[in-house]
Amino acid sequence: MRRSHENKYAVYLMTEALMHIIYKKDLCIDLRAAQLIVQDRMMLQNAREMPVLCDIREVRRVNKPARDYLALEGSQWITALAFLIDPPVTDVISSIYLGTHAQTIPTRSFTKKSEALAFLKKHGQL
Amino acid sequence: MPNTDDFRVKRIQKMLLEMAKGNFFYSLEPSDKNDNIASLVVMLNMVNEEIAAAFIHQGFANAHNTPQCIIQLSLILDAKGQIELVTNGTCSLLSCMPKDLIGKHITELLTENSQRTWSKKMVKHLKRDRSETVLFLEFITNDGLFLAKDCQISVYQALDGSGQKIVLNSVFFSKGEPFETGLPKNKLKVTKGIKEHKVTLTPEDIQMIREVHDTILNNLDKDLPSLKDLALQMGTNEYKLKYGFKQIYGTTIFRFLTEERLRKSKTLIQHSNLSLKEIAHMNGFKSAAHFSRAFRDKYGKTPTDLRG
Repeated sequence: MRRSHENKYAVYLMTEALMHIIYKKDLCIDLRAAQLIVQDRMMLQNAREMPVLCDIREVRRVNKPARDYLALEGSQWITALAFLIDPPVTDVISSIYLGTHAQTIPTRSFTKKSEALAFLKKHGQL
Repeated sequence: MPNTDDFRVKRIQKMLLEMAKGNFFYSLEPSDKNDNIASLVVMLNMVNEEIAAAFIHQGFANAHNTPQCIIQLSLILDAKGQIELVTNGTCSLLSCMPKDLIGKHITELLTENSQRTWSKKMVKHLKRDRSETVLFLEFITNDGLFLAKDCQISVYQALDGSGQKIVLNSVFFSKGEPFETGLPKNKLKVTKGIKEHKVTLTPEDIQMIREVHDTILNNLDKDLPSLKDLALQMGTNEYKLKYGFKQIYGTTIFRFLTEERLRKSKTLIQHSNLSLKEIAHMNGFKSAAHFSRAFRDKYGKTPTDLRG
């Protein structure tokens, strides 16, 4: 079963085994944006836990309230999380996020999609 | 010009200088570039937010003897948005002289985004005699730094019949006394503590308490052992764990646990079809009734009300 969805901030592609979220370009992710992003993801997942691939390569700013929200409220129903990044900017964003928030699930950043998928396959199996 | 590396580095230096002074409320304009300087700007903004949060938080938790400085951004505008009065704090914050500000239109101080917010939102409020709202506005200082904050805006009628006026207010916390005014007489405290428990914490103790904090966060659904057992596990004593945690995080271990559980539950209530009983159970609450009560205490309404 494949499903897709789009809102102002991201595009979602969901398959049986993976949730793929692509953040759109040039938007500041603030608390309200983070809440919408999480809300739509949870609506699509409908209580099914799965690994998530987060493509943040076009993101340029995620503010603190949004980071805090994504780290706790926003990490539910995720078995493993891989960020797809494009150094240097998104590398810095993911490093600070990972360095300042306690992770409840296996989380890592990758520049190659194939490596990210391999990581999710290994750590995100239910 | 604004995009040359030289110019961007100068901005970064200005920002670092403000941080060195203890002013964590500025930020740098984000760019859509993906180069090394852009990554430094992003990093500086994020680090700044983290320090600010830690600082204000620690300020509250440990402020027993440290005076907190509150700098107020305060402006009076006429109905068109022209600045009639500025406080000294405002001038310092924006690194301007009063004469640079008085007579200017408020939008000249705002970023494009905020200019749009201002013109969109204020139309409605200016139609009324009196009105209050909170707008998130980004100011640009004379040095080119951003100052982003929720601002309280009140529209009122001047008594002398000169028509509508607008008051704009916002408050910034700062360390030390950068502008030498506005020191509050009363110390800020989180709780009305009867007795102040002071614990001397070594860097290792702080590290240990952070571990406790993170462990709790990662195990919200599980029961917490008693403080005595937890202290034993972490190789410390109950007193140090209890009051050290309070000192660092400004709340008790058990209150922190409940708060974080409630945050997660709230999202599940809003975005899932799980029953309230399931949600309560998943987040470590013993009973739906207990969950409901704790939820109402924090959010002012019961889980059932929220789901509506």
